[in-house]
Amino acid sequence: MSEKVLSIDKTTLDMLDKAKKDGVETAWDRKEALKAPCGFGAAGVCCRNCTMGPCRVSPVPGKGAERGICGATADVIVSRNYARMVAGGTAAHSDHGRSICLDLYHTSPDGDIKVKDEKKLMKVAARFGVKTEGRDIYEIAHELAATGLQDYGRQFGEPCLPPTLPEKRREIWRKLGIYPRAVDREIASVMHASHIGCTADAESMIKIAMRCSLTDGWMGSYMATEFSDIMFGTPKARHTEANLGVLEDNQVNIVLHGHEPTLSEMIVAAAELPEMIELAKSVGADGINLCGMCCTANEATMRHGVKLAGNFMQQELAVVTGAVEALVVDVQCIFPALAKLSESYHTKFITTSPKARIKGSTFIELDEEDRMGSAKKIITEAIMNFKNRDRSKVMIPELKSEAEVGYSVEQILNKLDGVVNSHIGPMQSAKPLADVIVAGVIRGAAGVVGCNNPKNVHDEGHIEVIKGLIKNDIIVVVTGCSAQAAAKHGLLRKEARELAGPGLKKVCELVDIPPVLHMGSCVDISRILELVGTTANHLGVDMSDLPVVGVAPEYMSEKAIAIGTYVVTSGIDTWLGVVPPVTGGPEVVDILTNRIEEWVGAKFFVEPDPHKTVEQIVARVNEKRKKLGI
Amino acid sequence: MNLFQTIFTGSKQALAAAEGIVKKAVEEKGRDHKVAFPDTAYSLPVIYAATGKKITTVAELEGALDIVRSLIVEEEMLDKALNSGLATAVAAEIVEAAKYVLSDAPYSEPCVGFVSDPIIRSLGVPLVTGDIPGVAVVLGECPDAESAAKVIKDYQSKGIMTFLVGKVIDQAIEGNVKMGLDLRVVPLGYDVTSVIHVVTVAIRAALIFGGVKPGNLAEVLQYCSDRVPAFVNAFGPLSELVVSCGAGAIALGFPVITDQTVTEVPTLLLTQKDYDKVVKTSLEARKIKIKVTEIPIPVAFAAAFEGERIRKND
Repeated sequence: MSEKVLSIDKTTLDMLDKAKKDGVETAWDRKEALKAPCGFGAAGVCCRNCTMGPCRVSPVPGKGAERGICGATADVIVSRNYARMVAGGTAAHSDHGRSICLDLYHTSPDGDIKVKDEKKLMKVAARFGVKTEGRDIYEIAHELAATGLQDYGRQFGEPCLPPTLPEKRREIWRKLGIYPRAVDREIASVMHASHIGCTADAESMIKIAMRCSLTDGWMGSYMATEFSDIMFGTPKARHTEANLGVLEDNQVNIVLHGHEPTLSEMIVAAAELPEMIELAKSVGADGINLCGMCCTANEATMRHGVKLAGNFMQQELAVVTGAVEALVVDVQCIFPALAKLSESYHTKFITTSPKARIKGSTFIELDEEDRMGSAKKIITEAIMNFKNRDRSKVMIPELKSEAEVGYSVEQILNKLDGVVNSHIGPMQSAKPLADVIVAGVIRGAAGVVGCNNPKNVHDEGHIEVIKGLIKNDIIVVVTGCSAQAAAKHGLLRKEARELAGPGLKKVCELVDIPPVLHMGSCVDISRILELVGTTANHLGVDMSDLPVVGVAPEYMSEKAIAIGTYVVTSGIDTWLGVVPPVTGGPEVVDILTNRIEEWVGAKFFVEPDPHKTVEQIVARVNEKRKKLGI
Repeated sequence: MNLFQTIFTGSKQALAAAEGIVKKAVEEKGRDHKVAFPDTAYSLPVIYAATGKKITTVAELEGALDIVRSLIVEEEMLDKALNSGLATAVAAEIVEAAKYVLSDAPYSEPCVGFVSDPIIRSLGVPLVTGDIPGVAVVLGECPDAESAAKVIKDYQSKGIMTFLVGKVIDQAIEGNVKMGLDLRVVPLGYDVTSVIHVVTVAIRAALIFGGVKPGNLAEVLQYCSDRVPAFVNAFGPLSELVVSCGAGAIALGFPVITDQTVTEVPTLLLTQKDYDKVVKTSLEARKIKIKVTEIPIPVAFAAAFEGERIRKND
């Protein structure tokens, strides 16, 4: 391993030392072992879409091989690879959304999954045109689920997009020919168009990808969030703790990792059962300590205040502490390396979803018919594993930070009600937020999202960007692994307002919020769309008119590519802290970072330096303010 | 123009006005001429509180223009905007001080102009006990005398101390509002700059009752924000100058409620077009809660009427 600083997080560095001592490898070691990545792949000019290939063309125009065997140019290859990443990301989020829809369809008053937030059910049902008056709650829920599910495979008519989507935006998409149809259809459409001998025009390919991404943000992810809230409750502000220091010395530590809240909700409920707690005590533990990682952590913390053990690059390090009895996962962003790693410790690596089976793991499928039974089985496995903990190998970092989480749009509007004069009103509106932005007290708003990537110093991009933005009076909302980075570094505390600029600090004091708001998991980026859309509608403008930006300082997944694409297509400028594999296609670069602005009023910016990112965002925010005359 | 630019523009206008009248004072009275407000131990209270320095001569008054200049930093951030509002307040004090230089009695009935120390001391106890639950600064012009009188009488009936600035004074007289310190309705002056005479009331409260050391501006502002339950009602069209005065009020922690369409800032700068709701809106904005025991009698009943004199003709 090189001497380069790998992380700004102390627990991460401590655990990396321990991993070295324990003789186990981590993602950083594997990255090192891979040496320099292939320049063709990094530039996106390698194509394997048929068996005439693989073909690789020169990333430098006018030099070397300019076309693949079929004649596809560098731009065509890059655009097709890019589109397939978008399709991959959309598929991941959308299948997550689909599971949630199916869960809602199977809710029953005496089942494991019930309707928890009736108010939200009514609201969402109304937007899907489901009649609610005088009907049984579960009848409504089932019809809503069935209606929502139609938009995954709808072949005729238009899908139901939320009313928060401004009319002007819909028109832009219609004119551009990218108004989304059905979720699965758009994914298939990308796969078809990128097959050999189909689309060979970068502009057209990118537009197909943009259309696909919209079915993620405004449909798959949106439904996943809304329906999760209906079943598991809409998040409210609550307190939690973050970082590997949340692992407990004498408790059964269960780390939940993955994405879908269905699993985590069941485990959270089961872990509270007296019989489970008794069982834990019977093996000599003080109790059960549930912690989360990645987006499952976000889901569970937003609704239950479950502690955040860490983000993406820390998943292996949790095991390295030697204090984790079970690492329970479902789908997405789970290192398959965990199977081999857990062999070196007593940790049980438990997979639960048929969509993500990992060789070498213990597979306990979450039984659709008896979810609670499965959850209890999983927890029991963990508890029974407590006695196998090798105390000589345990090292729990002491570091953890306080954090406030749970800022759903509903919670934000409730908080905003606190500053509304009751004789002026209205309540439950984005007006106070719009007002402070228009007045200039807050210069703008940024959604900082995304993953970790060993190409960057772990968490540095997130933290430096967030700190830089709040200092410039740009309020920050976070989701995903970015949210956890912020939590670990104390930025989700109300006290963090001291790091904010004068305007944002004032607003945080008045509204009684931290300067950085945790809005949830990666599918919950739909909450950000909802907030921006609501604000745009309040002001009667389009989303691209607002001084709002998106940032993914350390992204790595195809989901992040899909997210970035739907955010830009929604009219929000997006900064990427990692260079996407498009540099070999000059036209694709021109489209994504330039021409796309003429289409949708926003574009991509690629800037690995977090400080330069902040400067660029501030400049762009001011530019947008000027255009809007505020 | 965006809100911050409006504030900066108003502050620069205030500075220009201050420069003009100070120039006149220099020309007419000379740089050595004495500068003072009547009956105060705090010199020019705003400048004294901000810098800890007393202004005694026209030359020093001229030098104080630099304070105004230093507070105007045209960067679109809240702290700069609030400082710019304070710049306007300092400029207003310079203008008002120059008035007292240029004339021995710049204010005459019904306006009182500068409020003396003894009066502030007399207000201290009822302010602390909550007998005076709030201080309203009503400035500008209502669409008619009736609505002006309604608002002012409503404050009066709640025991609130109301200071009037601008044409609303005439409207109050027309609306048969009884005025006077004892009646808790005090007309200050017709120029916008005369609003500074209520600002110095708050600032001297910090120095007198709060024991804040002059020169500790941050603490003065904090005291005003925490302890002086004042707010501003700005009626009628708002010039840039008035808006930048408003920023000064906000810097002191006093919300501004106007009947005009403005760029609102929650809890600080609010639009209330319904005159029947102005009082309630203002009290809520300043978090003033009034314990009300309503006695069903045909005339208004409040401490504000305690000093009222019944004249023969009444």
